[in-house]
Amino acid sequence: MILIIILLLPVITGLFLLLLRNPATVRFIALGSALVNLILTLGLISTVPSTTYTIDSTHFMGTQFTLGYDGISLIMLLLTNLLFPFIILSGFTRAHIKIPVLNFLILFTQSSLIGVFLAQNAFLFYIFWELTLIPVYFILLLWGGENRRAVTLKFFIYTLTGSLFLLFGIIYLYTWTGSLHTTDFSAFNQLHLPADTQTWLFWILFIAFAIKLPIFPFHTWQPSTYTMASKQGVMILAGVMTKMGIYGALRFLFPIVPQGVLFWQNTVITMCLIGVVYASVIAFRQTNIKRLIAFSSMAHISLMAAAMFALNYYSLQGLLFQVISHGVTIVALFYLVHLIQERTGTLELPQMGGLKLAAPNMAILLLMVVLGSIALPLTSGFVGEFLIITGLAKQSIWIAVFGGLTMILGAIYMLYAYQRIMLGDENPALSKIKDVQVIDYLILIPLIAIIFILGVYPQPILNLLEESVNSMQKLLIPANEVVTLFLR
Amino acid sequence: MVASIPYITLAWLVPAFPLLGFLITGLGKNRLKHNQAGILASTMVALSFLTSLFLFFTLRSSGQESATITLFNWISAGDMKIPFAFLIDHLSITMMLIVTGVGALIHIYSIGYMHDDERVNSFFAQMNLFTFSMLLLVMGANYLILFIGWEGVGFCSYLLIGFWFKNPEFNYAARKAFVMNRIGDLGFILGIILLFFTFKSVSFTEVFTQAATLQAGAPLITLITILLLVGAVGKSAQIPLYTWLPDAMAGPTPVSALIHAATMVTAGIYMIARSSILYNLAPITLNIMIGLGLATAIFAAIIGLRQNDIKKVLAYSTVSQLGYMFLALGLGAYSSAVFHLTTHAFFKALLFLGAGSIIHAMGGEQDIRKMGGLRKKMPITYLTFLAGTLAISGIPPFSGFFSKDLILNHAFESSPILYILALGGALITCFYMFRLLYLVFFGNQRLDTAHPHESPRVMTIPLIILSILAVFGGFLNIPSLFGGESGFSDFLHKAITSKVTEEMGASTEIGLIAASLALLGFIIFMAYRTYVKKSVIPAGDKESQSVFAKAISNKFYIDQIYATLFEKPFGFLSDFFFKQIEIKVLDPIIDEIGILTSKLGDQVRKLQQGIMSFYFFAMVAGILLFIIFILIV
Amino acid sequence: MKEISSAIQLIPLENYIGLSVALFSIGMMGVLFRRNTIAILMCLELMFNSVNLLLTAFSAYHSDPAGQVFVFFIMIVAAAEIAIGLSIVVMMKRNVDSVDINLLNRLKW
Repeated sequence: MILIIILLLPVITGLFLLLLRNPATVRFIALGSALVNLILTLGLISTVPSTTYTIDSTHFMGTQFTLGYDGISLIMLLLTNLLFPFIILSGFTRAHIKIPVLNFLILFTQSSLIGVFLAQNAFLFYIFWELTLIPVYFILLLWGGENRRAVTLKFFIYTLTGSLFLLFGIIYLYTWTGSLHTTDFSAFNQLHLPADTQTWLFWILFIAFAIKLPIFPFHTWQPSTYTMASKQGVMILAGVMTKMGIYGALRFLFPIVPQGVLFWQNTVITMCLIGVVYASVIAFRQTNIKRLIAFSSMAHISLMAAAMFALNYYSLQGLLFQVISHGVTIVALFYLVHLIQERTGTLELPQMGGLKLAAPNMAILLLMVVLGSIALPLTSGFVGEFLIITGLAKQSIWIAVFGGLTMILGAIYMLYAYQRIMLGDENPALSKIKDVQVIDYLILIPLIAIIFILGVYPQPILNLLEESVNSMQKLLIPANEVVTLFLR
Repeated sequence: MVASIPYITLAWLVPAFPLLGFLITGLGKNRLKHNQAGILASTMVALSFLTSLFLFFTLRSSGQESATITLFNWISAGDMKIPFAFLIDHLSITMMLIVTGVGALIHIYSIGYMHDDERVNSFFAQMNLFTFSMLLLVMGANYLILFIGWEGVGFCSYLLIGFWFKNPEFNYAARKAFVMNRIGDLGFILGIILLFFTFKSVSFTEVFTQAATLQAGAPLITLITILLLVGAVGKSAQIPLYTWLPDAMAGPTPVSALIHAATMVTAGIYMIARSSILYNLAPITLNIMIGLGLATAIFAAIIGLRQNDIKKVLAYSTVSQLGYMFLALGLGAYSSAVFHLTTHAFFKALLFLGAGSIIHAMGGEQDIRKMGGLRKKMPITYLTFLAGTLAISGIPPFSGFFSKDLILNHAFESSPILYILALGGALITCFYMFRLLYLVFFGNQRLDTAHPHESPRVMTIPLIILSILAVFGGFLNIPSLFGGESGFSDFLHKAITSKVTEEMGASTEIGLIAASLALLGFIIFMAYRTYVKKSVIPAGDKESQSVFAKAISNKFYIDQIYATLFEKPFGFLSDFFFKQIEIKVLDPIIDEIGILTSKLGDQVRKLQQGIMSFYFFAMVAGILLFIIFILIV
Repeated sequence: MKEISSAIQLIPLENYIGLSVALFSIGMMGVLFRRNTIAILMCLELMFNSVNLLLTAFSAYHSDPAGQVFVFFIMIVAAAEIAIGLSIVVMMKRNVDSVDINLLNRLKW
């Protein structure tokens, strides 16, 4: 029952908001709803006896409306409900038009994201998966920046095309269930498809996730979309929606096509590592901060995807830890970037510099978030990346070397960007800008606190994941044996 | 073991004091009044020092060799259990005393040095953060805690090098330092990960216990030690990752003294000494270290010969001295390396602080060609600087003599060629140090605009204390030749397993010392003749020089070579990826698919002519074809 | 009901099929070749009814009433459709003063 409440609360609040006029009321109600959802989620996480698979099945009007969770779902749920209060709060600063509509769309996105992470039925998953696109499409289209029509259309069609393959895959899997006539994950997980089917079905299922993540070379929608998107749009996209790709891949690929995963493992890891280096190198010479961070995000996500396919305990733990860590960091980073844009009126690095003199506190906050982004020890990024690189090293030391290049390249481009924004001599054009205000502190301080607290004490998250990661890994061990027999 | 040493659990206080200082000065930097931050920060580090001293005596009187203090579980995932723990043993307590002792003196000195800077509170916050990180580094009970400190000091170094952030060149230097450190750090973290896979633990005690049973020269151990070495090379500024250290002189001088001379750059030495058991198993790595160390020692010393910036000279001398420590490590004489580290911390901190005092007096001027004649104006600085110079040159009985002599002896034991090369480096060191001394303090004052004056007492007292340490620090470890007991080495040997014996024949040793002393005397005389008698002033950058001299003046063009080899291609690659591959290949492919679809639509819609009869006809024909198809198949 | 079924079964099934095919073909040809819209609509009805006839016949022979139920459905749909169709024809007559189907050639692209 609590799952239904968590799922529906945002969208119902959102619909209610459409009836209201006063912007302040709308904002506070939206924020309140998001906070209630966060509290419910935390309550759910603290009360679950164990994080093994739990199904909270609700047969709604005769359909298979099955919700449930395991540790991985809970992490995703936590991430979503943790970030949305901040995303809504970040809308307080600017006088947007159509505030009820915007908040409705944001809450609608939240509901559909929660649906994605809780659905225990592939078809339901697919519906929510596509449902997220609708509000995000409007958020991007109505509040986006330059060239938003073309970019939004491209984003929409690109991801939709990927999803179409997923739909085909789901229907194909459905035909395999035979007399069960079900699309429940629990049934799919028992299919044990023939190995050659798994090898091609892998790509049918993976392509949607590969585009959403995105990994090289399916990433071309991402930099332009991030650059164009509004503050809240980009926070939703980078903070939560990329994690849908990770979640989907974990839900679909590993239990359903384990041999396909093992067959394509090295190919996908190679693609991911190319993405890591490629995006990091590109980020160095970007002049638009948002595009730079978009590429940096792509590098980090690629590393996480590589970890996903390294298929061992450490890499999966690191990956899922990094889900939270990256989400928090990137939201804080994008918030700061927009703060800088609102203050200075530009996103172009060459026009900045010397901002630290006018806004010293902003510089400190940005530096702290940058530290999280470049994975300095005692920030959450380090715990995640350390586990990820450990996992990669277990696969092969060379994979770990290339994955570890983010450490160096990330430091190069992030510090270069920091220097070009904040440091340098006084800039007459920017000397009178306002420093960080109370509302900014309200958003940034908790996010930065999370970054550092999880860096010093990551254990709660790691414990939450322990069992799910173990069971996820066990799925692959038998398949691994099968493949080795198969290859002999 | 923990319980048996009384009060040892107080060890967590040692890093806690600077952390507290950082938080107070950092959060209250806009509220603290002048000097308050400095006094607070210095007090915190001094308290740390007192606690360390207390721990030192407790440990020594307890008769125990080590104690582990576990605070909480940091990362625990599956069979990976990494506690947040401190290891107190003879090596770490030595390092703690150096870090907090020298650190406290430099903090006090900074109160005077940074007095007029508007961001003085930030400065002390960052210095305290650095001290905290450095203490984590030396106190960590496993490689990952060490790594926290390792990256932490790198980050603080980044902050402090770029402290005067208005200057883009300083920012560049800061970034360069951080990135070069990170290159090493990648090697280091991979080494740690391999260690974990090999021993299922990263804790020092467990790794070393298990490693003792391993075969020497195993490829895995060699790989691990080389990866750890990469980290040490980055942090301790060895060839090929040394170029950041001279640039790091952009930071305020106390920073150069604390971070880039006494503590952070020696972290690599500490780490390898700590891992002595592993390195003893990897003779290949040890040989690499001998080569790297010796090459760095001589190479940096040669560059130091023709530097005209007082801090750059000292920076290259630091690189060179670190090379000696690496040489000692490579020879398996770990405790000698740590001993040289200790004496170097004393005399190099002293030299840097002295240089700071000079720069302070000269109103920010760092070019030694413009100084001169400061001996009478700044007597305390002169005397302390002289003590430091004598110590670094290895003149008995100053501290540098004992430590350097130990390393030279080990080199001689290994091979006479090594000894000759190492001695050559030491002679060059002696020459450029006396060149510096004579140019700065002797002759006539060459800059008219400056009005040099002795620094305030808050700056001179740390100088005096450090000079006492630099003069007498060597007596910690008097070799048996002079009737000593090698107390320092023995003390360390409870934590370090050296590969070589520390004894050699007395007659050979005396011969070697005599020979080197004679050469040193000659070198000092040469320097005196050139720079005092003939009053030679080094040529300006634009005047014509011989090719070789020019190459030295330009630091063998290493910075330019790196720029053409790495920085420019990187920028080019970035542009190439973005402007060619991303914009001209990948993006158009996707767009092309969309365009293709709509073009296909253009073609297909031509069937729609609008003639109803044709539609009917097509429909019927289609149905018929379908029926035929079904019937046939 | 029984009586009707047995009455239908008096005539062999082949005859029903033959008649239906003939009616359907006539209707189809009419749709394909006539240009008068009203005639086309009438031919459509003819095709509908041929199908209805067949459904009824099969239904009787299989003694399964479902077929005849469908017939009623089809009749209703056909009635609705012809109502719309005829109104279109009326509009067409008003606008272009003709019921020639080939005048409605703007329905393209």
